[in-house]
Amino acid sequence: MDVLRRNNVTVTGNADGPAVVLAHGFGCDQNMWRLVVPALADRYRVVLFDYVGSGGSDASAWSEERYSSLDGYAQDVMEVCRELDLEEAVFVGHSVSAMVGVLALRAAPERIGALAMVTPSPCYIDDEGYRGGFTPGDIDELLASLESNYLGWSATMAPVIMGNPERPELGQELTNSFCATDPDIARVFARATFLSDNRADLRDVRVPTLILECEQDVIAPREVGAFVHAAVPSSRLVTLEATGHCPQLSAPQATAAALLDFLETLGRDG
Amino acid sequence: MNTLNVTCRDTTAGPVLDVTGSLDYNHSASLRQEVRLLSLDPGQCLVIDLAGLDFCDSSGISALLAARQHVLAAGADIVLDSVPANTMRIMTMVGLHKVFTLRPAAS
Amino acid sequence: MSGESEPFRAAGNGPDTKATFTALLENSAEELYESAPCGYLSTLMDGTIAKVNATLLSWLGLERDDVVGRMRFSDLLTMGGRIYHETHFAPLLRMQGELRGIALEMRAFDGNRLPVLVSSVIKHGDGGEPLLIRTTVFDATDRRSYEEELLRRRREAERARTEAEQARQQAEAERARLREVLTTLQRALLPDTLPEVPGMEAAAYYHTASPFRLGGDFYDLFSLDDTRWAFFLGDVSGKGPEAATLTSQARYALRAAGLHSPDPATPLATLNTVLLERYADNGDPRYCTALFGILEPGGGGVRVRLAFGGHPPALVLRADGTCEQLFTPGGMLVGVLPSAHFATVETTLAPGDTLLLYTDGLTEARTGSGAETMYGEEGLLSFASEHAPPPPTASSAP
Repeated sequence: MDVLRRNNVTVTGNADGPAVVLAHGFGCDQNMWRLVVPALADRYRVVLFDYVGSGGSDASAWSEERYSSLDGYAQDVMEVCRELDLEEAVFVGHSVSAMVGVLALRAAPERIGALAMVTPSPCYIDDEGYRGGFTPGDIDELLASLESNYLGWSATMAPVIMGNPERPELGQELTNSFCATDPDIARVFARATFLSDNRADLRDVRVPTLILECEQDVIAPREVGAFVHAAVPSSRLVTLEATGHCPQLSAPQATAAALLDFLETLGRDG
Repeated sequence: MNTLNVTCRDTTAGPVLDVTGSLDYNHSASLRQEVRLLSLDPGQCLVIDLAGLDFCDSSGISALLAARQHVLAAGADIVLDSVPANTMRIMTMVGLHKVFTLRPAAS
Repeated sequence: MSGESEPFRAAGNGPDTKATFTALLENSAEELYESAPCGYLSTLMDGTIAKVNATLLSWLGLERDDVVGRMRFSDLLTMGGRIYHETHFAPLLRMQGELRGIALEMRAFDGNRLPVLVSSVIKHGDGGEPLLIRTTVFDATDRRSYEEELLRRRREAERARTEAEQARQQAEAERARLREVLTTLQRALLPDTLPEVPGMEAAAYYHTASPFRLGGDFYDLFSLDDTRWAFFLGDVSGKGPEAATLTSQARYALRAAGLHSPDPATPLATLNTVLLERYADNGDPRYCTALFGILEPGGGGVRVRLAFGGHPPALVLRADGTCEQLFTPGGMLVGVLPSAHFATVETTLAPGDTLLLYTDGLTEARTGSGAETMYGEEGLLSFASEHAPPPPTASSAP
């Protein structure tokens, strides 16, 4: 099995620098990081990949059984790390990938030396004494949205993206990225993401950890960021002056700066 | 595909059943059914005309014996008419010539 | 000519054209924005709503003052729609600058849901920096119900296919189970192995027309005492479970009666009585053909006495290659008449001779498509003659 091809692994940046693995969340693919990568590339060896079933990965390697829980995604992370022989890498996980990183760290502690969690949430569903922001019914709505958009996708979206006049190569990639998301796969990923509960796993995180949150984030509100910060013993919480769930897109400079700052405190500036 | 066709006509002496086709495992039940529906008066005679009979196996013989039982219970009599040579030989071999009145086929 | 059609006539170069257009177009930009047949809104890059048209406000039942500067675009969406917006819509819009025809659901003030199709474009400043997002919103209620109908149909079709496949597999499994049960039951009706008879070889070949139809044939070979053996072979009327019941009754009756009589006809008479008592008066007569034989080895050969109850002839294949029928007429079907007579015949088997017994399944079997191609007794006799003397294991015996 060719893991590098399976997970569409891209290695860029400073080949001699410390390794930084950037993991995308639910919804998009490694393109999420394209505005942040240049800032890291000078000093760090940057590893990008797509989870099986997302982006440019080999969808034939996907199975509902494996990817119905976050452990399957953590398996992808560990296999990519093993394939590249990474040790003590910094794992940067966006959204649900922050928890995937926690699981991967527990399973293969030698591979991951530090965690950067970008807009993480250990549990999206409200619980007694905990406010994740969502109810199970909201997740059903999301699944309906996924299904509905898949229907109109090929007819409405593909020509628009393909025809993006300024950056045709971007349009091409995004079309592929989006169209590769089979609705069945997206549904399984959505369930694995939004029905997960990794609150109890946070206290096992013993590596230096950065938590990046946004001022306004529907999906990972600030009280969730505070929860993660309180639960992870050696964590640092940074609140970005940004809105939305994807600061690497809406505030790429600030996101990159916070990451670089964290990397420097690790003494890893190559 | 083998078939069985049973038609009934009435004569002064009693009913006549014309049996055409195969009296085999798959079809004998319809002869039984037909006979069960007959009501006979004492002294009448049921004639089962086997001129059109292609084939008769043990379930066919069962059906004929059931017919005989039904007829005797009504105080009537039964005759197997136009029995094909092959069937006649089998009936004789198994001793049924002592049980039924058998009339051979014309040829 | 009515006033309404004036512009069309005026599409020529009439002097009134310009005035008419001007009248129609007065204030049109603003009015068109506000009351266009679709929703318009503009937001800051963080999603804060800066401008919204009356159409969208009326769809959602919201007041302008509650919306502008106070709500973000995602606040207008259902919770599921918000997640979709944050995980798909917003990232894509950021990366490619525009996005069209995304299906979302908005939430009206009264709690009703409004399915919409949303298109957004980012407006950039002179320096290329993103300034604001312009969004149009189309009411997609009809389209969505059409899509949902399509989806529902697709799911139904998939479910029907799945169910059909499951039913097929279940039927297959049940068929296999039934086949297994029937095979087991069938075996229970027949001896596992035939006992050794000194100086003789015995073999049996048993084959049913279909694994789902229990055969009505039965046979056995067993010792009566130190010097004599008995065997029987029979065929009950009909097939299936009832025939199987009769088969087991016949087998045990014959075996029990055989042990107590030196005459091979006596067990047949006993079976005759058993069947008549059991089945005579219920309108469903049951009978069987059977033959019962006693083997007495001695003097370099084996004496065979054979009683017939409506059974087809046995065949004797002599060592010199000739073949003869062993039969006596008058043996009545077992279970038909209370006063049945069972005839007995006798022969002696010399070394190399074979006694071949069969049921009428063999002579009744259709070897071709029609009744005329039945194997027949003549066919069997001539076949046996051609192949005599066979070793027992290679021939259909007893």
